[in-house]
Amino acid sequence: MDGIRVGNRVVGTQSPVTIGWENIPKVEGGPVKQFIFTWFQPTFLFALLAFWYYAPNSIAKASTAIGIGIGFRVLMLGLEWVNPRYASWRLTWKELVVDLFYVGLTYTVLRIVDSYIGSDVVVKAVQDHFHMDRFAWFTGLPLLLQAFLIAFIFDFGQYWMHRGMHNWYPLWLPHSVHHYITQLNINKGAVGNPVELFLIGLGIGGFFDFVPRAFLLAGTFGLAVGTYQHINVRFNSPKWWRFLFTTTEHHSLHHSQDYESTRSNYAGSFVFIDRMFGTCIDGEAELLGMEGGRRMTVREQMTYPFTEGWKAIKERFGRPSVAVPAE
Amino acid sequence: MTSPVRAAQPWPSQPWGPADGGASTDTDTMFGGKLPGMRLINWIWHVRGSLALAPGQSSDDAFERLAPLFSETGTSHERTNDTLTFSKKDQPAQDKMSVFDSGALRIERGAAESVLHYHLISRALLFCFLLVPLFLGIAQLTIAMGKFQKPATEAAASSGKATDASKKDAAQAEADKAAPVPLNPIDKFLGAPEPEKPKKGEEKPGRRNKKPSSTPAYVFAAIFATLYVIGRILEAWLVKRLFKRRLADA
Repeated sequence: MDGIRVGNRVVGTQSPVTIGWENIPKVEGGPVKQFIFTWFQPTFLFALLAFWYYAPNSIAKASTAIGIGIGFRVLMLGLEWVNPRYASWRLTWKELVVDLFYVGLTYTVLRIVDSYIGSDVVVKAVQDHFHMDRFAWFTGLPLLLQAFLIAFIFDFGQYWMHRGMHNWYPLWLPHSVHHYITQLNINKGAVGNPVELFLIGLGIGGFFDFVPRAFLLAGTFGLAVGTYQHINVRFNSPKWWRFLFTTTEHHSLHHSQDYESTRSNYAGSFVFIDRMFGTCIDGEAELLGMEGGRRMTVREQMTYPFTEGWKAIKERFGRPSVAVPAE
Repeated sequence: MTSPVRAAQPWPSQPWGPADGGASTDTDTMFGGKLPGMRLINWIWHVRGSLALAPGQSSDDAFERLAPLFSETGTSHERTNDTLTFSKKDQPAQDKMSVFDSGALRIERGAAESVLHYHLISRALLFCFLLVPLFLGIAQLTIAMGKFQKPATEAAASSGKATDASKKDAAQAEADKAAPVPLNPIDKFLGAPEPEKPKKGEEKPGRRNKKPSSTPAYVFAAIFATLYVIGRILEAWLVKRLFKRRLADA
């Protein structure tokens, strides 16, 4: 394959990719469908921001946010059914079970682990040790600015963690499992080795104090922007949206079978971070995965980083096998 | 050496009848397994079924029509006369039979009509079935850990040597922290609700209570129980429809 030159790099030499917004297919169907799938994303984002901004204190609670999150995911499952981006990404029963297994692990086992060694626990220990208080001046800022800062600080940290995973082998090993997925669906973001799921959840937000309502507003960016990374729905996202936010297109390219394409679009919500550091490529891909689209079993997903890590250690530090010359 | 396909087939090497070639009608023996009652247990992840072929349709023609299903990436198959055995490894999600890992199809020729019998094995079905006890176990583990943590916290509280004065200072600091921060003038102007001082025991807005609860584990156990029932019925129906459509393809 010849590939396509994007700046200093050539992408699409190993598997087909589509580069440039003008080449990406649009939503097909009548005017109502076109209207819905063009305006759904911004409408939902602004509606949710307005809801959390004005909701009375009795409603503005984490439990409401959990309810909205579940409802949104069910709605997305419906949209995947009605308007799939690719038929080859159609959710199957088996994929749903495996995806939900990882979602279940995140909500249960990983939460227990986080309560012992998560970043919030570590931050609190550091604060206690150095008798530090949280940086409280943020609480005087306007709510929406606080919300943006919370989301941005987390996404900025995630960007570098994610980029580190693609550039440093010990971090790549746990992350590589996530790159073996061969299709994008609503819960695919949760699929990966638990070590990676733990690492990607680390953040430094615990050092800062924010008004509680600002956390709920910040969660909106995760839900109404970040969720679209892994989803099988075709949207006509507005130009300003795809300039600022990570879209399915961006993230599908990141999951492409083409190696050079995977080294782009690291941000979870704010793709302008990629633009800032020169790692953004506007485009999409249908053929996803590693090793030509080999799908890992759950057992391999659990063990792969350790078995491959052990192999790498043995290669590096093990005794070299001495060839005995034939006499 | 036994081929990988042969090794993966779900029954002994003479699955279709006696070694002398005589016809067998005992499908339970053919598909069941060595232990009595095993069939009832392995029904959890074994899908069995049969499908009548069109009148006059030969085994060759039927297997030719089904052949594309066994030419997918990661699938190997072997055919001997009226029997086809297959096994899959790392099959992609796009494989229409990806839920199954191995199995066999056999065409039984009758006087009036021929019948395709199939016996398919799905580790995904077994996995989903086992997720129910797994998440119930996680729920129990969460409860046990909560109980383990509680006495430790209580012990730490009772053995605290803080003086009354320092306790008072700490309480004052805590009260100061709990006091709501006034809204920024911009938010006041835009009409955002003023934050309230949280009442004791009430859910705090914003930052989620990070203390692990057993509820999600129970919810996921229920989800997987439901998904198992759906999958056991749906996948059996889908594969039958798939075979039916392939066999009827012109």
